[in-house]
Amino acid sequence: MRMALAALAAGPRLSRRVSGLVPGLGRGHRTAAGRSQGRREAAEAEADAPVFQYVGERAARAHRVFVWGFSFSGALGVPSFVVPSSGSVPRAGLRPRRRIQPIPYRLELDQKISSAACGYGFTLLSSKTKDVTKVWGMGLNKDSQLGFHSSQKDKTRGYEYVLEPSPVPLPLERPQETRVLQVSCGRAHSLVLTDREGVFSMGNNSYGQCGREVVADEVYSESHKVHRMQDFDGQVVQVACGQDHSLFLTEKGEVYSCGWGADGQTGLGHHNTTSVPTRLGGDLAGVPVVQLATYGDCCLAVSADGGLFGWGNSEYLQLASVTDSTQVNEPRCLSFPSLGRVTQAACGGTGCAVLNGEGHVFVWGYGILGKGPNLVESSRPERIPPSLFGLSPYRPDVHVVRIRCGLSHFAAITNKGELFVWGKNIRGCLGIGHLEDQYFPWRVPACCPSFPGDDARGARGCGLWSGSHGDPGQVLRLNPWTARPRRWIGDPCECPWPLPPPADV
Amino acid sequence: MSKPQGCLVFDQAGFLSVLGVGHGRRLLTDMYNAHLTKDYTVRGLLGKAADDFCEDGKLVEKSTYDHVTREKLDRILALIQGSHQKALVNYSNLDLKTQEAYEMAVTGSIRPMNKSPMLVTGIRCLHFAPPEFLLEVQCMHETQKNLRKLVHEIGLELKTTAVCSQVRRTRDGFFTLDDALLRTQWDLYSIQDAIQAAAPRVAAELKKSLSLELGTQQLPNSDLSHESKGQTLP
Repeated sequence: MRMALAALAAGPRLSRRVSGLVPGLGRGHRTAAGRSQGRREAAEAEADAPVFQYVGERAARAHRVFVWGFSFSGALGVPSFVVPSSGSVPRAGLRPRRRIQPIPYRLELDQKISSAACGYGFTLLSSKTKDVTKVWGMGLNKDSQLGFHSSQKDKTRGYEYVLEPSPVPLPLERPQETRVLQVSCGRAHSLVLTDREGVFSMGNNSYGQCGREVVADEVYSESHKVHRMQDFDGQVVQVACGQDHSLFLTEKGEVYSCGWGADGQTGLGHHNTTSVPTRLGGDLAGVPVVQLATYGDCCLAVSADGGLFGWGNSEYLQLASVTDSTQVNEPRCLSFPSLGRVTQAACGGTGCAVLNGEGHVFVWGYGILGKGPNLVESSRPERIPPSLFGLSPYRPDVHVVRIRCGLSHFAAITNKGELFVWGKNIRGCLGIGHLEDQYFPWRVPACCPSFPGDDARGARGCGLWSGSHGDPGQVLRLNPWTARPRRWIGDPCECPWPLPPPADV
Repeated sequence: MSKPQGCLVFDQAGFLSVLGVGHGRRLLTDMYNAHLTKDYTVRGLLGKAADDFCEDGKLVEKSTYDHVTREKLDRILALIQGSHQKALVNYSNLDLKTQEAYEMAVTGSIRPMNKSPMLVTGIRCLHFAPPEFLLEVQCMHETQKNLRKLVHEIGLELKTTAVCSQVRRTRDGFFTLDDALLRTQWDLYSIQDAIQAAAPRVAAELKKSLSLELGTQQLPNSDLSHESKGQTLP
């Protein structure tokens, strides 16, 4: 129950002034005796007034998912954005479709979502539940990247577009014991990481990105094929999808990859496709890795002692600090003394970002990097001034705790639970209420505040996934805040720029 | 005298107000046009809501507040500051796509130079002892009703109710409590000394602030403004 409303006495809500609630309280008394009598009456009336309880003492915060960006592929999971006549209640007049959702929109879900990922026009959500249904997908499904979703009219046919979060069938051996830890989405394939049954892959396999042999002329549309990979040395703890390749990180700190390798993004020392997950070497040999990042064709890895490694595409100066080559097919150590200890890396289409131990964000690469329009490219990391994330004399302890990259935009969450985005605002993927590009970190409207958690649960309750493989540009956020469904207070201007009129097509 | 700020009728603690004498009167206008921020300490009381947001106003509702913790309050305040940060930039009519806007955002010097609703540039909790809490608010274009309403809305966001029991200004632009003359010091010599001590700062700050808006205006000699700690002021 989101709001425990237990009025100890029947009475109207706060939003309406109640004249009858406190009887006998007038303002007409002018004499001293009258004034003191009025005060006494007021005090008595106040003591008698009923006390409302809106929330119990141990109120827990509910988790929420918010979506924004381009909606016509169905990736936002709101059917009425795409097809105006859907919905249980027929409307008197058809509401027009909503091509772009410019600010965060709350998705109504019953389940507690723990992981989310945005692909090219599709989205996956997963929960750590032991229930049979653990993963939901919505959006583009022409390559069965969301699995098979049978059509209502004909059970043998599958939907090419899934307009609302629908259960993704997984061939689990023990569906009531296995938990799904993480999901990841690429251009046309997806990965699902479980805690005891390995990694499942779905979708396009033209380059072996699903970790199985490429079958010539395979038809991916309406396919039931879900492939399981369990041949890793140790448990897989993180999966990451690039555009057409896949990366896997094991508990031993080793990295595996498969898929398209023309830019060297598989990091296996060649430029061929790989259809079986294979371990990486290069500068990563013997180095325990703790985090992987990829989204386009460039890859970054963070080692246990705070080092940074990169491979893949370097046409946009991502790896120019160590090589002039534009394709790097083996992991190279990136040494930047100014970074300090690296704790997180994020890799977009043309830009890279890392977070260091002090909670500072560094960016490099090409595009809108976040330091104004003058910084268009850099081969070395540049620190984004912490004041842009809210650090001020009033708030001296603000720092960033999580960063993510989309194809051409960035996002960061601070320890105060605020979400900042910057970069190209393709089809509203930034969620800031308008469609202009943003050249430095900007707060996303506070109607969906995200809190990293004030206890040991840490950042689990708040996740940030940046999408936009070009088209979809949707971003998801999880939000453990049970805000009343009301306009945010104190914001004198909800949207400073007029919203674009909803256009058909 | 200074521009009307609304009716400040708090008879409890005193607060800072800036007075101008002679030529200083014109400087007060300049100060007003510089759109500087002011600091307030605001005391709130949880569990009640009143129609004019005051502690002694007409009671509208009572509610429980045992679920409110310092962490929740801090979060709300961080969000308030965040949403007002955005409003600051939006009302300042800056083109955000310029390098200049970026640099101003980095130094935190973006603020509107014309009319705008009340904007909070900083807010934090100094003391929390339910049902009482004490906030420090740094704001501009405020009215005291808006400040009280802020307390009321903080209460709503905490899923309870709150009224404001005290508002006290502690800084007005570049004049702080340290510069203030106590009631006992309201004599000619102290006033003269205070004016002269403040003069260079006044000139420098006004010049800096007005250059944001006008760029080239010359300021006359500024040595005639002083402050006092006192009661109500129109």
